[in-house]
Amino acid sequence: MAGLANVFGYGAMTNHQNDIRNSRSIMIIGMNPAENHPISMQHILTAKEVNHALIISVDPRFTKTSAFANRYVRIRSGTDVAFVYGLINIILANGWEDKKFIAERTYDFETFKNEIAKYDPDTASDITGASKEDLLWVARTLAENRPGTVIWAMGGTQHNHGTGVVRTYCHLQMVLGNMGVPGGGTDVFRGHDGIQGVTDVGGGPETLPGYYGVGETAWKHWAKVWDVPYEWLLERFKSKAMMEKPGFTVARWYEGVLMDAKELGQESNLKAVFFMGHSTNSMQQMDRVKKALEKVELIVDIDPFVTNTAVLPDRKDGIYLLPAATNYEQPGTATNTNRDLQWRQKIVDPVYESRPDLAIMVDLAERLGFKKQFIHNMKGDWKGVPATPMSQKDKYEKALPEQTIEDVLREINMGCLSIGYVGQTPERLKRQQEWAHVFEIKTKKAVGGPVDGEQWGLPWPCWTDKHPGTAILYRTDVSAPQGGGGFRVVWGPTAPDNKPMLAADGSAPKDGPTAGYPAQKDYAVDLTGESIKLALAEGRNPYGNGRARFNSWNIAADPFPIHREPIHSPRPDLIVKWPTYDDVKEHYRVPQPYKSMQKPEWVKSFPLILTTGRVVEMEGGSAPQRTSSWLVELNPEMYVEMHPKVAADNNLRHGEMCWIETPEDMDGKPSRIKVKVKITKRVGPDTVFLPFHWGGVFEGNSLAHKFPEGTVPFSIGESANTVTTYGYDRVTQMQETKTSLCRVKKA
Amino acid sequence: MAQAQAQTTVPYREAGGPQGKAEPARMKFYIDVKRCIECGGCEVACKNENNVPPGIARIRVVTINEGEPGETNVAVPCMHCSKAPCVAVCPVDALYNRPDGIVALNKETCIGCGYCLYACPFGAPQFPKGSAFGARGVMDKCTYCAGGPEVAFSEREKRLYGSNRIAEGKLPMCASVCATKALIAGDAEEVANAVRQRMAARGAGGGAWGWDSAYGKGL
Repeated sequence: MAGLANVFGYGAMTNHQNDIRNSRSIMIIGMNPAENHPISMQHILTAKEVNHALIISVDPRFTKTSAFANRYVRIRSGTDVAFVYGLINIILANGWEDKKFIAERTYDFETFKNEIAKYDPDTASDITGASKEDLLWVARTLAENRPGTVIWAMGGTQHNHGTGVVRTYCHLQMVLGNMGVPGGGTDVFRGHDGIQGVTDVGGGPETLPGYYGVGETAWKHWAKVWDVPYEWLLERFKSKAMMEKPGFTVARWYEGVLMDAKELGQESNLKAVFFMGHSTNSMQQMDRVKKALEKVELIVDIDPFVTNTAVLPDRKDGIYLLPAATNYEQPGTATNTNRDLQWRQKIVDPVYESRPDLAIMVDLAERLGFKKQFIHNMKGDWKGVPATPMSQKDKYEKALPEQTIEDVLREINMGCLSIGYVGQTPERLKRQQEWAHVFEIKTKKAVGGPVDGEQWGLPWPCWTDKHPGTAILYRTDVSAPQGGGGFRVVWGPTAPDNKPMLAADGSAPKDGPTAGYPAQKDYAVDLTGESIKLALAEGRNPYGNGRARFNSWNIAADPFPIHREPIHSPRPDLIVKWPTYDDVKEHYRVPQPYKSMQKPEWVKSFPLILTTGRVVEMEGGSAPQRTSSWLVELNPEMYVEMHPKVAADNNLRHGEMCWIETPEDMDGKPSRIKVKVKITKRVGPDTVFLPFHWGGVFEGNSLAHKFPEGTVPFSIGESANTVTTYGYDRVTQMQETKTSLCRVKKA
Repeated sequence: MAQAQAQTTVPYREAGGPQGKAEPARMKFYIDVKRCIECGGCEVACKNENNVPPGIARIRVVTINEGEPGETNVAVPCMHCSKAPCVAVCPVDALYNRPDGIVALNKETCIGCGYCLYACPFGAPQFPKGSAFGARGVMDKCTYCAGGPEVAFSEREKRLYGSNRIAEGKLPMCASVCATKALIAGDAEEVANAVRQRMAARGAGGGAWGWDSAYGKGL
């Protein structure tokens, strides 16, 4: 997301899944939609059948998706930058780039060209392992079949330079002129149905809701929305500096418990940890997570199921499991990968003691002493909710009035002006639900009825309650009030080198000013919405009309993405030429070493690349899925995918048990897991693959006895993340779980 | 039993159709090997809908050439053949064709001999495992979500055969949930239209696996 935001202005998928039906070429890189986004495959396969779109699958594994590709290209895990820049090198050498688009709508192509020169086909082929013929074929196919889309997921982001990888995908689409057109775009598919929404409402540690950051302006804006004095918010922090400092991330929070407080970016260690719908077996270096869970004073796990978190640490008390209601037991909205909001109805009352998430949050706010402020904007029946803690009989609170959930959305509508979360009111979303049949499948646009002209899900930016939503971002062939827009102006009207950051004349949304223009003053903080309306009335998009950046001069990583070898790289020769970053003293409150962790000698004793991923029967930490007999029957146990050669060289047969061992990381001791061998040519002879969904077994020992009575899942198994090693993105701190090194031993 | 069988609700074509007269629909499956991604949605939905015990698969996705170019997935339910070999070989007439073409099973007549298993080209008949003395037990198979020869929606029907979505005017659960519309169910005319459209768009090959074997040549 940070990658996209630093190029285009918004960290979101630009087009939508249905729009893939308009594509003429589809490059799927670092992603396996057939397993992880099965529904999206109907659009991808329709494009293949009806448009004769060519599908290119680029992945270290021959996935279920690769089986549907016109061409499969195997690359070494963690070499995406070299692959994509290798493609751009070929495109530029042949003059296949979109010169008009580059001149009018992008910044610093000249310097970019020099960077690209480093990735000639020989270099790119050497780094990635893809043949020069493959590179040429892919480059030619993308150039000759426009519009084309590039789709990726965690295969692109989970690297030490993941933000750089994402920016290269964006650059490819900019060079080809595939941005802002139906069938084009940079289509990142988010990992869960609500993840885009979680990011939008400030799930990350570096921003308040709506990507306002955590600076003073941001706090003051939200103080206004929440109708509390800014000073009151300030009082709740140790200091203003701490208030404006990004917190720990989900990737490395445990270091806040484990490390000496002197090394941390705050005075003391973390004392308590709250999990809400997040499982620990999706966290890298799970052996460190385990230690942290043993050291921390308080653990609260809020989930409908008993997750890995509850059984992982060796401790007798201090773990509280709060049963949460599922999405079928509470109403609300979900935001999907292409920014669409959808209203969810409650189907049944919460079962047993489980409670809606909001009810839990309100109770927590009450215990912490700010319930009054917390529920201030909930104007509906909410105020009638008893203040005392609920009992099981307390049906009223259990069933949480729908109105209160609507009020939460109204508060988001009021505050998240920066991304245009304004027009997705509960009333409009419910009306769309009723009129779902009038939306066209290819465009997601309604024809007729009270929803006439609206985009399904009112994808943000949806600037007013009359705006149709923006299904395709950065599109200039429609007017701003109808969802058109240039690239977002975030970095001012000029770059540090005084080159313009506003779009050139002739490139602007229809029916407005013909050239670039800056963002409307105060559009993101004017709660009346008048600034936004003023801009739209003049045919301007409130966020301005700027340029997409080849050169992200103010990013913590490289201004132009550079191929960085994984921390655990199998190529000592390439570590010399393409090393990782210099060590960072403090990143999200923890020290983050890079070069000092990258050891060229590891590959001698750990010769295989270890990569992880998902399977279709499971999802994330998979506590619900492993508790479902039907799903467990289809995928009963943890395994490792291994090439026949690797298996034979290690004297292993299909179905035998083996140990996977990885180098020591911050713990100073190697980790290992015992898993079943699955022999398959999905992986090449240099790579093994582990699905990460299992939990309940740790380094060969079952943790089944630790589950509360009657809650042991049908399937428990080793977690892949017990053996995943150190390595984090330079900007977002995303874990480098896609690339590590390991060895295999017969068990 | 015979009375219940006579009461079976079968879907009818509209009189205005190409045939010009109201007659029973001919329910078929279309399994598109160019679309099936082996997500397993059909398998799980079937089990959940019909409460199928572990070890029995009324529909199963088979993958060939896994992990190599040419990897292909096929969802295999009972195809409800026109001249069903299982019906021909059943010594007790426990299997029979309904007027709408669905091959139905009477579990109370079935003696578990297993002839149908050998006759079926699709491996549709399922037998519980692990019975004493090697006895197979009563056969179980895909009902096209049309229940069995019992009063529709009765507890007894539900227990023996599972749900009866056809009598409710719905399609089988597997086809309803298919993520990529690889598995299509319905009246032969509708299904044939879908196949024809896909063939036309692709230029060649409808990817209709098992079609000839189940229904003979042509659409």
